[in-house]
Amino acid sequence: MEKLQGKMESPFIIEMKNVTKIFDGTTVIDKMDLNIRKGEFVTILGPSGCGKSTTLRMIAGFETPTSGDILLNGRNITTIPPYRRPVNTVFQHYALFPNLDVYDNVAFGLRNKKIPMPLTDKEGKPVMKIDRAKVKDVKSQIRRIKHDKLISKEERETRLEALEKRLHEILSTPVQAYKYRHLTEQEIDEKVVHALSVVDLDELEDRDITTLSGGQQQRVAIARAITCEPLILLLDEPLGALDLKMRKDMQLELKEMHKRLGITFIYVTHDQEEALTMSDTIIVMNDGVIQQIGTPEAIYNEPQNAFVADFIGSSNIYNATVIAPRKVRFLNHVYDCLDDFPVNERVDVIVRPEDVRLSDSPKDSYVEGRIASKVFKGIHYQYVIMIGHDEVLVQSIKDFDQTKPIYLDIRPDGIHLMKRANDLNIYTDSYIGKDHKVYIDDAPFDCDLSCLFPNASVDEDGIVTYDKKKYDFANADVTATIDPRALAISDDTSEANVTGEVINAVYKGDHYVILVRTENEEDFFVATPYTFNPGDIVGLTAKKEDIKLKLRGDLEDYEI
Amino acid sequence: MVKKILSYSYIYIILLLLYLPVFYLIVYSFTAAELAGQWEGFSMELYRRLFLDEEIMTALGNTLILAAISALVSTLIGSLGAIGIYYAKKGVRTLVENVNQIPVVNAEIVIAMSLTVMFVFFGQHFFGGESTFSFWTLLAGHCVLATPFVYLNVKPKLLQMDPSLYEAAMDLGCSPSKAINKVVIPQIIPGILSGLLLSFTLSLDDFIVTAFTRGPGLLSGQAQIETLSTLVQSKIKKGAVPPEMRALTTIIFLIVLVIVAVYSIRINRKNKALSGKHARRRSAK
Repeated sequence: MEKLQGKMESPFIIEMKNVTKIFDGTTVIDKMDLNIRKGEFVTILGPSGCGKSTTLRMIAGFETPTSGDILLNGRNITTIPPYRRPVNTVFQHYALFPNLDVYDNVAFGLRNKKIPMPLTDKEGKPVMKIDRAKVKDVKSQIRRIKHDKLISKEERETRLEALEKRLHEILSTPVQAYKYRHLTEQEIDEKVVHALSVVDLDELEDRDITTLSGGQQQRVAIARAITCEPLILLLDEPLGALDLKMRKDMQLELKEMHKRLGITFIYVTHDQEEALTMSDTIIVMNDGVIQQIGTPEAIYNEPQNAFVADFIGSSNIYNATVIAPRKVRFLNHVYDCLDDFPVNERVDVIVRPEDVRLSDSPKDSYVEGRIASKVFKGIHYQYVIMIGHDEVLVQSIKDFDQTKPIYLDIRPDGIHLMKRANDLNIYTDSYIGKDHKVYIDDAPFDCDLSCLFPNASVDEDGIVTYDKKKYDFANADVTATIDPRALAISDDTSEANVTGEVINAVYKGDHYVILVRTENEEDFFVATPYTFNPGDIVGLTAKKEDIKLKLRGDLEDYEI
Repeated sequence: MVKKILSYSYIYIILLLLYLPVFYLIVYSFTAAELAGQWEGFSMELYRRLFLDEEIMTALGNTLILAAISALVSTLIGSLGAIGIYYAKKGVRTLVENVNQIPVVNAEIVIAMSLTVMFVFFGQHFFGGESTFSFWTLLAGHCVLATPFVYLNVKPKLLQMDPSLYEAAMDLGCSPSKAINKVVIPQIIPGILSGLLLSFTLSLDDFIVTAFTRGPGLLSGQAQIETLSTLVQSKIKKGAVPPEMRALTTIIFLIVLVIVAVYSIRINRKNKALSGKHARRRSAK
């Protein structure tokens, strides 16, 4: 049974199932499902604080998920400590042992490694014993499931039952016992010399760590991690401390090393260019949630949402409306496009700066604009062109006169449509307080209760008259809706209805769409011409007439 | 030039003021005069009398045994505590750090008094009214005194250390205890050693806590444990400082001088010469 399970080869080396990680009440990873194929170079890409390092640390074993499972080659490793996982890490600041020299650093893992040898009795028969390590492992899984508050009661019971059954099975079937031996100095020496040659450091084995340059330390860190022949090499922003030129060289070298070693690389970075250069697969993360998984080409050319488009490369993002099949209107013009969306659907349009064509003379279908800025970037010029109020970022190798009008066109294959995620702020768990204000996220907003029904009126005490009956909506549950454009955002939090932190900001031609999250994890989308940075604490205010309300529950309950 | 002379002479004057009394002590330990300050010609008489004086030898033995044991115990507790607190959650860390400050800034007499009250209380309630005062209470007193200082010596070394070293060791196959032994301790060993030295000297010359917490035991047998400080104090009560003490303190000063010199020379050498270790491994291969 056990062996059969082991042979069921899954194409994935790492499977994360419904993994959630909560630190002191903050959800860092939210119900993540992730599969990583064997032998791939996978990059987890995202801005700082998006949960990418936490994901890596959970695979390494330094953090245990609050809920969910991590499988390595189909085996549940969630509760297995880092020193028993066939996974090694290259740390952000290398974490080399300063008391050891290069050789001893690289040999460190090998000196801890133990080789299993089948245990036989005097007659040469294999000794059978109960696998204590596995018993311990299953028991810790049982403990974990018992304390997991995020899974349903049924799931907990079925899983506990399965684990108990498995525990019983392990306890009743003795398996081949092993004794363990350390590697000999000679074996260690061979492996260290090999690892050092992989990273081109053969000459430096006797050097002290503190005398090495950053790039050399980086190589030692990689050599140290690969000597133990891990199934997966984890790299946590390993190139962050190197200068640009060295970083470029190391990127190519790492890619080459990945090919030669043939093991899975999981690489964490916030540098999109690094991710595009090296990876087979990119996982874009933001705010503890995977935004998109795909090849570098797919991520760049077909971003699934505005966040990915904005984060990967530079891009122009606009609000647009589909006006006819494969025709979309934005920048005061109708363009043909390849993506098929329903007519009248409001969408986000992505246009890469290199996909915009410029001309200095009016042509068919070209739109007139003016050059707001022009920057020479070496291989191309970068223009910002104003079409009405909208900015268009364009890259062109041609040199245009800044004072003359310019004409631009976008071909259908340069226009990428995406479903608009954040059109309205809708809060289904709002309620009317005793003071007849609407409470969204437990923050009071002034509201006009008469908007609940057509032709209704409201008096000074908040009593609504509708259809000749009077209603008091104190404590009524309502759904509140606020248009992102109606929310005012400001650094001044003293007068605000609600305050929160800026999570991200996406520029859409003439305004930003900013995601603001309150302490209670409620999200507000705000459209504003002003720029705010992630991490800023801002206050939001909404006018009485801009909050739309809808009553949930029976009208009769509130009649007086 | 004048400025240079002035700045140098300043430091030399300070050093002179610091070491002049010790210098006097050393000089007058080589004369047999009863009263310090009288020179009766060079003689090793005081040293001879010192080693023949059973009372002083017993006190010296007690002091050294106590200092050695209490230094080891407080270094162990202080170092492990520092490592534990370094990896603890932030709330726990600030709490322990603040609590640790109190014995450091507190007057010693308060520590001594509170320990006495506590030991009396223990004796009455847990040991059937018998006195608990013994070597163990004395040891506890000295450990209470020294442990916070060990912690304060080890902590900066931990802060200088790359925090991911411990995780790196675990990543490379070390269990948590092995990771502490093989990676963390080598990083903080200078702090541990200076903590050990400091706690040894703290115990060596402590009077207040010793006077309050001592009981019968050690080399003193059934009598109250006498350490050098309590012995000197009891002698002063009766009259002048016994002249043999001049010889004894000279010896202690010289021993400490040697220890400090050896320690700093070793650290300097370690920082300068890095190649020796590698040569050794090469020849072993």
